[in-house]
Amino acid sequence: MEIAYFLGCIMNNRYPGVEKATRKLFEALDIELKDMEGASCCPAPGVFGSFDEETWATVAARNLTIAEDMGADIMTECNGCFGSLFECNHMLKENGEKRDKINANLSEIGREFKGTTNVKHFAQILRDDVGFEKLASLIEQPLDLNVAVHYGCHFLKPTDEIGIEDDAENPAILDDLVEITGAKSVDYKDKMMCCGAGGGLRARDLDVTTSFTKEKLDHMTAAGVDAIVNVCPFCHMQFDQGQTEVNERYGTDFALPVFHLAQLYGLAMGLSAEDLTFDAQKIDATPAIEKALGKNAK
Amino acid sequence: MIIRGVFSMSIINRLKFLFKGENDKEVTDITNDVSNTSDDVQATSSKKVNDSIVSGTKTTAPISSSVKNDSEEDSNDLTFKKDLESLDDEKDSSEEIVKEDTPSETTTKEEVPKEDKLSEDDKEVKQKLNNKERDKMTLLTDKEILNDSNRDPDFTAEFIDAGIETVKHCFQCGTCSGGCPSGRRTPYKVRQIVRKCLLGLKEEVISDDALWMCTTCYTCQERCLRSVKIVEIIKKARNIAAHAGYMAKPHKMTGVFVMNTGHAVPINDDVKALRSKIGLPEVPPTTHANPDALAEVQKLCKITAFDELIGYDEATGGLKE
Repeated sequence: MEIAYFLGCIMNNRYPGVEKATRKLFEALDIELKDMEGASCCPAPGVFGSFDEETWATVAARNLTIAEDMGADIMTECNGCFGSLFECNHMLKENGEKRDKINANLSEIGREFKGTTNVKHFAQILRDDVGFEKLASLIEQPLDLNVAVHYGCHFLKPTDEIGIEDDAENPAILDDLVEITGAKSVDYKDKMMCCGAGGGLRARDLDVTTSFTKEKLDHMTAAGVDAIVNVCPFCHMQFDQGQTEVNERYGTDFALPVFHLAQLYGLAMGLSAEDLTFDAQKIDATPAIEKALGKNAK
Repeated sequence: MIIRGVFSMSIINRLKFLFKGENDKEVTDITNDVSNTSDDVQATSSKKVNDSIVSGTKTTAPISSSVKNDSEEDSNDLTFKKDLESLDDEKDSSEEIVKEDTPSETTTKEEVPKEDKLSEDDKEVKQKLNNKERDKMTLLTDKEILNDSNRDPDFTAEFIDAGIETVKHCFQCGTCSGGCPSGRRTPYKVRQIVRKCLLGLKEEVISDDALWMCTTCYTCQERCLRSVKIVEIIKKARNIAAHAGYMAKPHKMTGVFVMNTGHAVPINDDVKALRSKIGLPEVPPTTHANPDALAEVQKLCKITAFDELIGYDEATGGLKE
């Protein structure tokens, strides 16, 4: 099996440990991740989609044509990238008028959207293409960790387009994937609430964004978790970088380390904290990692 | 404005108002108003102007002199609290006027038949209420009567032409605002924006900063009873706002990063070192490592005039001015 691996921006340019963990995981799964040479920003659905739909769709469609040329389906491990690429692919497959318009733009750089690729989310591939049983066989060190799962917004929603089998208001996919590593997913108040970063809000009004994040952190902390697990580097950044911004603004002392699901699997597969670039994250993950691995310490 | 009149009353008075029957011409007006709305939109999409909605409202509800203006409301993050307070005020004053006829808020069905006798009192109540501060939750303010000059039918048509016909399906139930995490902390009122888009109140929609307080989390859209594509409406309204010049500088800068590097969040030296350290290529195989690919992205952004939209200055790689 081959997959066109869409990197995006924040994951590879800020949290490369996520990329490292993903490459290791898929190597172990015997699935080839093929690089999408020359791919760009997705571009962000709530940002570029808010400015100019045509630009958003044109740049997204260019990324789609790279995978079409490779003859592979796309995998992304960012909700924002997933939202943009899936939505654009869906729109251009369904709407001939828009497709013609975007293809007129793409023809200027010698490209054409053909509608021959599918866009899949990392977590979706793990559950639906790989399966829980195979994943469980890869776990070398079951993790003793209580985590707050954060789904993020552009993963299961809008449900009438996305079609990942789950209940968007009360989903299970990520909790199930987390628990395969041995970690426990702890329920918390307003679990499905947004982190506050999306839609261009983080760039535009950090006070409002951090107010969202504080509410999430309050609820996660009240549930007594050791860490946050997400499947979106933008949410990841918001909980990591944003957590320090919350602490500055509110005088709080939140200290919940942030794991992308790939990093959680990386840890359970024996990668070090350095390989997972936890040492470059704002919130110290050492206590959580020590606890997670403690069960196996001699 | 008519609907506003109903909603701004206390629960008791609203019930009375609705049960009063023939005395009440305005109840019929509400029905007309709602049905006119969808007719009107069909007309706007075919570029015909139908003046039924707004002119219909002209005949009712005198202008209140004591209405607090919108900007005051918008500057307050605790609008919900304010709404509750104003509702309380209304309840107090209406109870005062109606006195023994309304012993408690729990109006029972047995009390309803008495209502006919109260019609004179009710007129007084209504008059009082019309002169009072109004409910802040509806979009029509009494400081100014809206008429066709406030409306831009082409604005509404833009949503329909973009394939968001569901804007017409909204019946203003407020489920969207009820679940909105941004509405809990900012002046962003998603229900109100959808209504304004349908009415064609272009300037009010695109000039309002609150339009940009949506994180596109889809909670509203997922819960909408009428399957209105609410996030699409917000994004379309933002597109129109951006093209009319309402675009924040940090947003333009995000565009600048993509123009310069192909990435909204470009790499930096620290991350290059970090990538090397863990055995990944120092620079990822994206536009960062491929100048021809970057040139493609830049060319596409010029074809769509995105560079002009954000005011990109090719010479400096920054913003103009």
